[in-house]
Amino acid sequence: MSTPAAQHAPGRTPGGGTAARARGLTKAYGSGETAVLALDAVDVDIARGRFTAVMGPSGSGKSTLMHCLAGLDTVSAGRVWLGGTEITGLRERELTRLRRDRIGFVFQSFNLVPTLTAAENITLPMDIAGRRPDARWLDQVVDTLGLRPRLAHRPAQLSGGQQQRVACARALASRPELVLADEPTGNLDSRTGREVLAFLRGAVDDLGQTVVMVTHDPGAAAHSDLVLFLADGRIVDEMPEPTAEAVLERMRVLPAGGPREPGSVPVRRRPGAGRTAEED
Amino acid sequence: MLKATLRSFLAHKGRLALSALAVILSVAFVAGSLIFSDTVSRTFDRLFASTAADVTVQPREDLRSARTSGAVQTVPAALRDRVAGVDGVAAARAEVSVRNVVVVDRRNRSVGPTTGAPTVAAAWYATDRSPVRLTSGHAPRGAGEALLDADTAGRRHVRIGDTLTVQAQPGAFRVRVAGIATFTTTNPGAALLYLDPAVAGRELLGSSARATAVAADAAPGVSDAELKRRIGAVVGTRTYEVKTAGEQARSAAAALGTFLDVVKYVMLGFAGVALLVGVFLIVNTFSMLIAQRTRELGLLRALGADRRQVRRSVLTEALLLGLVGSTLGLAAGIGLAFGLIRLMSAFGMHLRAAEMVIGWGTPVAAYVVGLGVTFVAAYLPARRAAAVSPMAALASDGVGETAGAGRPLRTRAIAGAVVGTAGAAALAGCATATRTARAASLLGAGVVLTLIATVVAGPLLVRPVIRVLGAAFPVLFGPVGRMSRRNALRDPRRTGATAAALMVGLALVGGMSVASASMSASFDRQIDRTLGADFVVQNANFLPFTRQIADRAAGTPGVGLVVRQRRTPIAVRLPDGRRVTTTAAGYGRRLDDVAHITYARGGSAAALADGHLALDAGYAEEHGVRIGSVLPVEFPGGRRTELTVGALTDQDAADGFGTEGGLFLGLPTLQRYVPDGQDAALYVNAAPGTDPARLRPRLERALGSFPQVQVRDQADYKDLVHDQIAVLLYLVYALLGLAIVIAVLGVVNTLALSVVERTREIGLLRAIGLGRRQVRRMIRLESVVIAVFGAVLGLGLGLVWGVCMQRVLALRGLTALAIPWGTIVAVVLGSVVVGVVAALLPALRASRMNVLAAIAHE
Repeated sequence: MSTPAAQHAPGRTPGGGTAARARGLTKAYGSGETAVLALDAVDVDIARGRFTAVMGPSGSGKSTLMHCLAGLDTVSAGRVWLGGTEITGLRERELTRLRRDRIGFVFQSFNLVPTLTAAENITLPMDIAGRRPDARWLDQVVDTLGLRPRLAHRPAQLSGGQQQRVACARALASRPELVLADEPTGNLDSRTGREVLAFLRGAVDDLGQTVVMVTHDPGAAAHSDLVLFLADGRIVDEMPEPTAEAVLERMRVLPAGGPREPGSVPVRRRPGAGRTAEED
Repeated sequence: MLKATLRSFLAHKGRLALSALAVILSVAFVAGSLIFSDTVSRTFDRLFASTAADVTVQPREDLRSARTSGAVQTVPAALRDRVAGVDGVAAARAEVSVRNVVVVDRRNRSVGPTTGAPTVAAAWYATDRSPVRLTSGHAPRGAGEALLDADTAGRRHVRIGDTLTVQAQPGAFRVRVAGIATFTTTNPGAALLYLDPAVAGRELLGSSARATAVAADAAPGVSDAELKRRIGAVVGTRTYEVKTAGEQARSAAAALGTFLDVVKYVMLGFAGVALLVGVFLIVNTFSMLIAQRTRELGLLRALGADRRQVRRSVLTEALLLGLVGSTLGLAAGIGLAFGLIRLMSAFGMHLRAAEMVIGWGTPVAAYVVGLGVTFVAAYLPARRAAAVSPMAALASDGVGETAGAGRPLRTRAIAGAVVGTAGAAALAGCATATRTARAASLLGAGVVLTLIATVVAGPLLVRPVIRVLGAAFPVLFGPVGRMSRRNALRDPRRTGATAAALMVGLALVGGMSVASASMSASFDRQIDRTLGADFVVQNANFLPFTRQIADRAAGTPGVGLVVRQRRTPIAVRLPDGRRVTTTAAGYGRRLDDVAHITYARGGSAAALADGHLALDAGYAEEHGVRIGSVLPVEFPGGRRTELTVGALTDQDAADGFGTEGGLFLGLPTLQRYVPDGQDAALYVNAAPGTDPARLRPRLERALGSFPQVQVRDQADYKDLVHDQIAVLLYLVYALLGLAIVIAVLGVVNTLALSVVERTREIGLLRAIGLGRRQVRRMIRLESVVIAVFGAVLGLGLGLVWGVCMQRVLALRGLTALAIPWGTIVAVVLGSVVVGVVAALLPALRASRMNVLAAIAHE
């Protein structure tokens, strides 16, 4: 814990508290000589009630970071907390319950169960838990997303943008502590993508939710409060109040496996960590 | 293209494994039954060929009587001298060989086989044609000595010097075992007892002037055929049947053949069920594989493969599957035949497994069946594959719906409706038909057509039926239940085909159990109505038994009345010109005291009067017979006479189901034309003032030395009849068992492939918080609902069939309709178990999925 990153964990904001945090989070694939580090001793705090974007080039470890925060993936070393709960070391069943009750997910594609209607998809995590959804909250979410006329439709009858909006509604419906969105606009055209981003923004501003979004689109990242830049499994920079241009500019100088410009945050590299694990 | 096909075949070998298993099972049954029957018939051909005399002279037998009446047709023993005098005969023997004996040991236990194989008593001639060789003791000399075969002696612990009682047609006599004879050939399972030829005729046939056949050995240089011609010229072929060794062996083999045919048909029935159910499995597998490979096939098309090539590639894959399945099935069939041969030796039929015969027809049949069935089953999926557009390669998989799932079912609806209407019409025709033959053929057509219609239209029934069946799922199991139900509804075609495999077997069982329950109920009713006797003395095989038993029963204190029943084959010339061969029963006087027979015209006195007979009124009307009609009849041994119709009965069913016309006559009349007949049943009443319950142990003690018969009261008699019907049912249950095994494979197959297809969906569900146990439950419920759907459809169809079958039976007088609700409920519950079992592995696999890998699954 002597690195500068430990003293100032990226993402921390005074006052709001943290929805999730990780310390020394390391994820290695393989072992021995061929081991590849996807995450290299990452320390991160996710501020509550804010919209955090995680950016980085392909293979930088941003999806792995999200999976580890969500308890979807096991960590090789380090600790992860969701709120006050340490999730590293939880058993499978507890993790499942945690995902069900305290985290909302939006994936890039294939977000919905094809056999269920939009309404059933939205309430699915609560149905699984056997909890009654909060009707007023649900109405608010559904109306914010403009899904009211589509509730009885099956996913196959919805457009891609509508499907993602249903996925967002599902992620928010149980009022989770953390909403994780993995490239939520990756499969959408720019206009519907903007709608979804505006909604995630609104979820933070109007509904007080905490959203973490993984993306490689600077335009998408510009909707967030804070951008964390990942490269080679480490958080190399952060940018509050981002604009698309600034993010794009920052991305340009990010190491894509090559030499990095000196400055900003010092980066510790390990032998053999030059190549990162393949994502997706 | 071939290389691509081979790659694809190898890549999917895991998914093809269950289909291959279905092919293997059906091919194994086909090959096994062929090998087994070839082996058995080769063995017996050899046995009969090596034991038959060069030429045999037998009585001409148009009506085989021994099994029905217990009477043995004979030739004069003096015929031996006439045959011996024929030029070219080296030696002639008067053979005495009968099967209507029972041999009991000192403790009154029968030493004969318990398997239904006969006990044969014969005159002992030590020729090289004898199937046995004297291995210890000495040949029987004079009355009171006998040889016993070594297998029977070993099984029943009989030693040289022991005394046995032989109950033969003329009477019982005692013999001391003088020697043991060992089979030199295959033991067909019978018990053999040999007597001195000098006394065999008298002891077994009642006269030393009689024999059952004359065997002649040809002198060197005289062929069998030539000798047959010469002997025939001397003895006359109108009176006697003269056979060469070859002909004799063939007819002996043919007689045995009926038993072998049963085994063969049972096995082929299994093969048929396995094939039928297997077809569904293969169709389903290929449909699913193709649905999963839509993009790949689209790519092939985009790269320039034409439709024919795509179709051929899928069919080649099917043929490879068939080839592998047939080869393994053939090997399994050899194993099955081996097992059957071992099983037969447990029943006393000692076949040598090492001499297994695999004729050229067996592999041919195996490959034709195996390749044929896979080819036929894969044809439709192959056509569908060829119809994949090159655009499919480019289309994204959207929300993961299976290609083809949404295709309209209009063609199926039309075809199902047309065939179903035809089938329903046939069944309705069957239910209202008044003639048995017509009703039976309509039933057959109706069964086949409705089965086809249900299979074709099955996918259309998936939605309405599963909606109802799974209606409680969301309430009982929450979102997991809802998803299971929707998953089952997702691809009605697939669900329908999967359930069809189960449906076929259960329809069969449903139909047969209704029919057999109705038969049992009808017989019960009939027994209640007609059987007036306190006891029936009879054996379980309904085989005739020695007349001494009736005398012994009549002599038992407390017995008031014994009415004998005898049976005989009979040929009747009816007024409408038909000559029917059927069985007639003869009853002693006072029939009315032991039976309540309803007469349409006349009564027991007129029916049993000398020279008269009675028959079923309906049958009589059908053939133009009236009271007073004079019918020319022929009894065994060529005895002809004319009998006058004295009475017409109006029974639920003619006594003894399956005997045409329900003929019966007075015992004295029967005795005149079948003098050597044995009794088939005795109806016994207690004397006035004697409690039947107290008479029974006395009667059983009195008949203790006759292990071939049992004393039964009405309840026992019903049980006996039920057991006879149940044999049929057990066979059906065995078929069902096989059908269920394959149907389970089908459900496993469907679920396993569905789980693979839904990898991403399951990953998503796991990510948003569905627990492993809930994933397992989801798959299990889907499986159960598919299985229950199949069961409901099958039982529904089976019930309709069963009711129609009962209508056919009603025409034969079996008017009671009984629905075995217990069986039906058990089958439905059983289908739930089937669903749970089938889901075990796929559910485990689904729940063990790595969530991240599943989400990223292509």
